This record gives sequence, C-alpha cells and structure tokens, in this order.
Amino acid sequence: MSVPVALVTGGTKGIGKEIALLLAAKGMRVYMNFSTDRDAADAAGKEFNGETIQADVSDQDQVNAMVDTIMKKEDRLDILVNNAGIIRDGLLMLMPAKNWHRVMEVNLNSVFYCSKAVLRPMVGNRWGRIINIISPSALMGRAGQTNYAASKGGVLSFTRSLAREVARYGITVNAVSPGVIETELTRDMEARIRQEFISMIPAGRFGTPKEVARAVSFLASAEAGYITGEYLSVDGGLT
Amino acid sequence: MEKDTLVDELKALIIKNLKLQDIAPADIDTAAPLFGGGLGLDSIDALELVVGLEKTYGIRIPDEDVGKEAFASVNALADYVLRNKK
Repeated sequence: MSVPVALVTGGTKGIGKEIALLLAAKGMRVYMNFSTDRDAADAAGKEFNGETIQADVSDQDQVNAMVDTIMKKEDRLDILVNNAGIIRDGLLMLMPAKNWHRVMEVNLNSVFYCSKAVLRPMVGNRWGRIINIISPSALMGRAGQTNYAASKGGVLSFTRSLAREVARYGITVNAVSPGVIETELTRDMEARIRQEFISMIPAGRFGTPKEVARAVSFLASAEAGYITGEYLSVDGGLT
Repeated sequence: MEKDTLVDELKALIIKNLKLQDIAPADIDTAAPLFGGGLGLDSIDALELVVGLEKTYGIRIPDEDVGKEAFASVNALADYVLRNKK
C-alpha cells in the first residue's frame, strides 16, 4: 500500500500547521492548504517534507480544483482535516450581515465543499477519515460569537449526519474541539483577559497546538476505525 | 456497444461492485428500480455504484437528479451510459 495522503485546510498556521506537521511526522504525505498568506505557506512548507496548496475553501470551484490537483498527483486522498476557520466576533444586535455570511462561508460551507470533493476517492478506496475542527462555542455558546458558534454547531451536526452516510465504506467522520490554545491570537492577549480565561479552565492553563494535533492524529489513524460521528474535546476540562 | 451487451455488463458490475451474494445477472429485472426495490439496496449503496460507473465508463453522475434518472432501472442506466460515455 502506498503512503496515505492527507489534506489539512488552513494548514500553514497555528493549530492547522501543527496537525499537518504531526501527520507528516507519522509518515503521511501531507498537503497544507492555504488561502492568501503565501509567505506563511512558504515558511511552513520549508518545515516539513510535504506540499502546500492554495485554494479559498469558501469557493467550491477552487476546492474542486485543489482536490483534482492532489488526485492527479497522488491518485488517492485518505484524510481530510477541515481546520480552516475565521472569527468575526460581535454582539448580534450590532452584527453586520456580512460578518454573519462570511463566517458561514468559511467555517461551514467549506466543510460541505471539501468533504463532498473527497468522498468519491474515499468511497472508491473504501477507507477515509474526515476530521472537523469545532469549538467549545458550538457546545456551550458564547456571547459575541453567535455567528461562529452557529457555524461550528452546524459543523458538528454535519459530522454526525455524514458519519451515518459513509460508515459502511470504512470512512469515519469526527470532530475535535480545541479549547483555548496557545497561538498567535492568544499570545497577544492582555494579561487580565488571559487570567480570566485561565480561571475558567479546570486544567489551569491554555492548551498547545500539539495537544490538539495528537487528538486529530489519533482519529486519523487506523486504530480509531470504529469511532465515528463523535467529537473529542481537547480543552483542559473547559466544557 | 450493443445495448444488450451493456445491460449484461452493467448487471455484472452491479453484482461485483455492491458485493451482492447469491444473485445472478438473470435475477436482476432490467426494468425494475435498482434501489429501494427487490435487490434490497438502499440509496447509500448507490454511492459505491456511482464511483464504480464513473471509473469504468468515464461518465459523471454529478447530482441526485441525474442519479434518479440513471438508477430508475438497469435499462435506464444503460441508456444513460450510452449517451454519456467517453
């Protein structure tokens, strides 16, 4: 059997990058997808023995072209990690419609486009892994994140339903819910806000991207073949 | 290709692709619906047949409307393949 091929959307930064690096370290052939930041992609691409590939995952044509490119080169696509996501936080009463729609396009529609595009090769191989990155906001709700929470809640329900559609083909569909993780975003946080977050987390600290990547890597493995339609929280007990 | 030959070929492909046990090509009614009918196949089984047909004949079954037309019967499927194969 040739080496399994994995695609990680939003895979050149933060949690996505760590996932891509770990899957590559486990011996997979990994494609890091990115949308606009070519410098970050070039830098990330140098860190590992894999590929970077550009596509805006909120655009179905670009997603299909990306998957076609991978299939032409590799003739297989075994693992999809739907990680790309954005936030446009704001209170609903004052939220511009564009901030609602853009979050849905990038966080939810992309999961539809990417999953649909990889299912033909996965059904053909009777094996596949789809892992969707969700959020505690989807599970608990969070003021200022109605759009983000709705998009991630949608992804969780999508996960459970698609899992039932494709289980008989050896394809599992699961979600991973990272809590507050040390990334560029949280590093620049004010000390006061940081402390407030930490006080909510039973583990008393933020998580690391690697801790999230390990959960994804487990669900992507052959060992996790009987787990499907589930979500796995990596949040230090937050939820 | 003669349609009769294609019908036989499609029946064999359906049996092989969907791993149908104890069913011979002659047991498949050429005019009956493929899914939700006497073969005990459901719509999820159709996914694998879609992939198999696309690979074998270079056709594309892009959405459920086309699927409904193509899977109405083996006869309809043969017509669809003849019209669209490369």
